[in-house]
Amino acid sequence: MNVASILDKRRVQWNELESLCDAMESRGRTDRAGGPEHRGAQGIARFSTLYRAACADLALADAYQLPPNTVTYLHQLVARAHNQLYRANQFEPSTWVDVLFYEAPRQIFADSCVRVATILFFGLFTLAMYMGYDEQRFPGFANAVMGETQLENLESMYEQKLNGSLDHYVSMAGFYINHNTGIGLTCFASGILIIPCLFKLAYNAVVLGVAFGYMARPDVTGGDNFFQFVTAHGPFELTAIALSAAAGLRLGVGWFRTGGLNRIDSLRRSAIQAIPVMAAAATMFVLAAFTEGFLSPSPLPFIFKAAWAIMSSGMISFYFVILGFPWPKRSRGSHSPRYESTTIDSDASGQRSLGHVTHAT
Amino acid sequence: MSVPAALDTTIAVVTPENIAFNYQLAGPFRRLPAYLIDVAIRWLIIIVVVVLMLITGSLLDLQFFGPFIGAGALILNFVVSWFYGATLETYFNGRTVGKWATGIRVIDIEGRPITGKRALIRNLLRIADFLPAAPLSSLGAEDAPPAFIIPTAMVCLLSMIFTRRMQRLGDLAAGTMVIVDERSWRLPIAKVDDPRVPALASFIPADYRVSRSMAKTLAIYAERRHYLTPARRREIAKHLTIPLIERFEFRNDIDPDLLMYSLYYKTFLADGSGELPDLGNLADFSPLAKDANKPTQVLAANQPLTPMRAPS
Repeated sequence: MNVASILDKRRVQWNELESLCDAMESRGRTDRAGGPEHRGAQGIARFSTLYRAACADLALADAYQLPPNTVTYLHQLVARAHNQLYRANQFEPSTWVDVLFYEAPRQIFADSCVRVATILFFGLFTLAMYMGYDEQRFPGFANAVMGETQLENLESMYEQKLNGSLDHYVSMAGFYINHNTGIGLTCFASGILIIPCLFKLAYNAVVLGVAFGYMARPDVTGGDNFFQFVTAHGPFELTAIALSAAAGLRLGVGWFRTGGLNRIDSLRRSAIQAIPVMAAAATMFVLAAFTEGFLSPSPLPFIFKAAWAIMSSGMISFYFVILGFPWPKRSRGSHSPRYESTTIDSDASGQRSLGHVTHAT
Repeated sequence: MSVPAALDTTIAVVTPENIAFNYQLAGPFRRLPAYLIDVAIRWLIIIVVVVLMLITGSLLDLQFFGPFIGAGALILNFVVSWFYGATLETYFNGRTVGKWATGIRVIDIEGRPITGKRALIRNLLRIADFLPAAPLSSLGAEDAPPAFIIPTAMVCLLSMIFTRRMQRLGDLAAGTMVIVDERSWRLPIAKVDDPRVPALASFIPADYRVSRSMAKTLAIYAERRHYLTPARRREIAKHLTIPLIERFEFRNDIDPDLLMYSLYYKTFLADGSGELPDLGNLADFSPLAKDANKPTQVLAANQPLTPMRAPS
């Protein structure tokens, strides 16, 4: 038997596997591949049989001294079938609730990056607010940070009493979702390089702080309106900025706090840990945007806005502390609540890849 | 294992079936067009949807719906520009429209398809990969507002150069890689229809075993010889055939190209049964050196015949 006739014989099966792959790629099922033996469970069984056969052919290809382009073809065929057999498990929207209310708060509670980012952000914010407020002690600080025209713009923006209409609210809410959440996501993404993330966080803290401090000066017009505006959405928005920077920092810290893994694996683990935190931050950004769009510019009395601010602060504290506290017992039967789902995930994949190596050698 | 890694852009993946197969990695020059197509499509989606909203809005009551359309457009912009890649890669097995058009695909570094979380991470981190950003005003356009910046994507390029799987930062964090996803494959094994080839092959000693690297060389040669002129073929083949001619005790004026092709035929195509094909007027020919004084010259190098065509 020569090589060509072996190939011709096997080629019938390869072609069948290819047509099954075609059907799987377009519809996710084998039904369309042609013959009646390709429908339903039978088709799947046939697919896996053919796949295993192709795997065996690939393994034997070297021993048979098949031509290299045939080996290349087999590599591609096996890769293609492999990709169909082990398809992606997609986003389950039902797990999002679990991510938001179970994983994220515990992650946030336990994560030292959250503490660092929060202290940095609110520390710089308070400092800048004081320096922007106290013109006697720090003359020209506000001007130096924001510039003359910016400060004037800020003043003129809040000269009128807050009195929006419905169309104003709606479009502003859309704007804030787009703009602020975008800033948060950018902050998170640049966290992998650490320095741009810290810079963005510090920049936002200083500029916001100076704006707050400047508007709090007694001789500035529109100060009242300004605080009327910012009180309601402040807690959500400021926390969300700090939180998304924290998620980004967690990502970047993965480069050098490896915990015994190699750097890349450590980065992957910290990226998976950072996702729930970022999801929580994005949710807060959206809540803040709706508050900022609808409640903040409304002419409601200040007491309502202050009440909302207190309530949202309470909600955030509840979320961080009560939901986040590593309670020892949970109905899930988890042993170590801290990082549990993420570490198990990465450990499992680590073991899998280890298994591969031992098999391969 | 002490097998040196090949100097090419393939990566081996071991499957649960304990088979190692190769993926061809996609480099920056395949991925950039895919990304540009995706950018174009993102803008197309946003523009088309906003225009549709404006048309329906103006048919009903633009005064009332205007702000809703504005807010809708902004939210659409947010969702599409941040989550386009992640959504498509999750639901279309690692491909966006641009990747589909350029024939590349994202997979897990272990060869499995990408999951939603990984797709999200690698797409969100694109921002970091495009750093550092250069302001347009520094590149000659002096009066451009500082808001117009160009992503230089140096981080991404450097990261691709220095990683074995040509991953950018987002890929590193998500544990993914981008591979070339060929869809049209042929199964090439060259057919031989020149009677001189089996004739010559029948004179190759039966105890000669083609080594593995020799088999590979022969197959590559047979694939490539169509692109070469006869003179060039002989020139290339000569280096390999001179020791072979000595070993087989052939005549020195055997066409090296023909000898290579005969070896290829014997390795991959010849039937083991030993039955000789019909040789026609070549039947009494012998390439052996001891028969050199015989009159036939058909296989000599000075005759510019290609083995793919039967001699007239």
